[in-house]
Amino acid sequence: MLNLTLLAVESGQILAAGSSDDDSGGLGLVFLLSGFVFYSAIYFRYRNTDKRHGHESETEATMVNMQEHDEFVKARKGLSNRRMSGANNTAVRGASNKFSAGIMSKFKL
Amino acid sequence: MPMDAVEPDTPPPAATDDAPRVINTDDGAKDGLAKCARCGATEISLNVATGNLRCGFCRFEWSTDNAIEAFNLNGDISALAGLLVGSGSSDIVPSTEEILTFKCSACGAEVVIDTNTSTQARCHWCRNTLSMNQQVPNGAVPDMILPFKVEKSTAVEKIAHFVGKRKFFAHPTFRAEFNAENVMGVYLPYMVVDINAHAKLSGQGEHQTRSYTVKVGDSTQQRYDADLYNVAREFDIHVNDLTVESSSDRLDQNTAVNSNNIINTIMPFDVENSVRYDSNYLAGFTSERRDSNLDQLAPLAHTQAEDITRHRVNDTLKFYDRGVRWAAEEVDVRGQRWVSAYLPVWLYSYQQRKSNGKTFLHYVAVNARTGETMGSIPLHQSKLLLVSGIVQLVGTVIGLVLVAVGI
Repeated sequence: MLNLTLLAVESGQILAAGSSDDDSGGLGLVFLLSGFVFYSAIYFRYRNTDKRHGHESETEATMVNMQEHDEFVKARKGLSNRRMSGANNTAVRGASNKFSAGIMSKFKL
Repeated sequence: MPMDAVEPDTPPPAATDDAPRVINTDDGAKDGLAKCARCGATEISLNVATGNLRCGFCRFEWSTDNAIEAFNLNGDISALAGLLVGSGSSDIVPSTEEILTFKCSACGAEVVIDTNTSTQARCHWCRNTLSMNQQVPNGAVPDMILPFKVEKSTAVEKIAHFVGKRKFFAHPTFRAEFNAENVMGVYLPYMVVDINAHAKLSGQGEHQTRSYTVKVGDSTQQRYDADLYNVAREFDIHVNDLTVESSSDRLDQNTAVNSNNIINTIMPFDVENSVRYDSNYLAGFTSERRDSNLDQLAPLAHTQAEDITRHRVNDTLKFYDRGVRWAAEEVDVRGQRWVSAYLPVWLYSYQQRKSNGKTFLHYVAVNARTGETMGSIPLHQSKLLLVSGIVQLVGTVIGLVLVAVGI
């Protein structure tokens, strides 16, 4: 059942991403998965399997003695993804609830 | 992009000795009868409304020292070097008894305390309460305790409200058996960690310069232009009160077999308000013994510190609106301070018996300091599948029409 939910969530994400790049037929495809989306929404609302403590943002921490280095490399044209390929600056690796960390990083990246 | 370099302060000296330094947190602690200073009764418990201990006979109230101040745990994190641990966080010695026997000093009877669930027991002869406050290496007595602040009646309301909003698809047996009054107050074991680390991250980041649409065949697609940069950050990071579960049961958060993630979700706690451990805070509540050692928890805490570092440094990366791909991340822990704590949770638990004979323990938990509430409610799967099927049928018809007209 968990796999089914994962499939529905990921399918919905792919469709949502697809609809932002190509606006023909996206809404119709979302409706074609409405049962899966509905099941997932209710499942998460009742079971909250995606929930965890956000240690990465809810823990107090201060940075000091910051040294920054930023060097222009090149301009890139015609990229099809809204987000940088392989970006990992929002990754979470220390969550005990791996399911939640996996889902959240998919949505963020 | 500006180049910005700030000369770092002199880093704290590295620890020359790997052996942990110990903060003794049970100085002056005594086992046995803990008596009210005014009337001598042992009927002492927490007054949740005031956060003080109160004598059940003469109503005299008193407070316990703040643990952070008493043990100087609020010292400068930048000065932390090596490993500093509270004496209540020491390694558990496997041969240490979990069931301990004390002699009642009022009547001489032998009284047994099961440290798995409490550090108090009532003498079966004279009815006095015996407390265990001295630390033994079985994880039962922590360095500090955070008293309950949310009243039971408030927790019952919050749980009832949480469940009340999730009744339609809840399993009918659960709906029939649910009674929020069955909530229990539990002190759960955690480790609270301060970390002084030096971080070096390097990689590449992208800044979007243009967004536009192009025509591909019959459809339009979005395209982006971006500038690519080499990015590096080097800094010291001070992590304060990182909190990790120290019970192996609670650390297992496989949501396919348990709902421990619910208890994890209600963090954080205001651990800075913890007090010196006194078993009388447990009166009327239950507790769960720590069964994990620092060696087992350190990898998790350090990985979480790396996550905190990665997320905190994003404050300096706002220019890279398409993200940053770190190729190298080094978080060198130079100093760390570990103390064990009992933190308060109102817990409603429900054992679901499934048709295949298996059981699943669902929790609805309330943080007994902040009131944050989270829960897992057993689902009526056949009802949900039926309604999802109907939604799918209707959605399919609408979807086909929309696809046909190209929306």
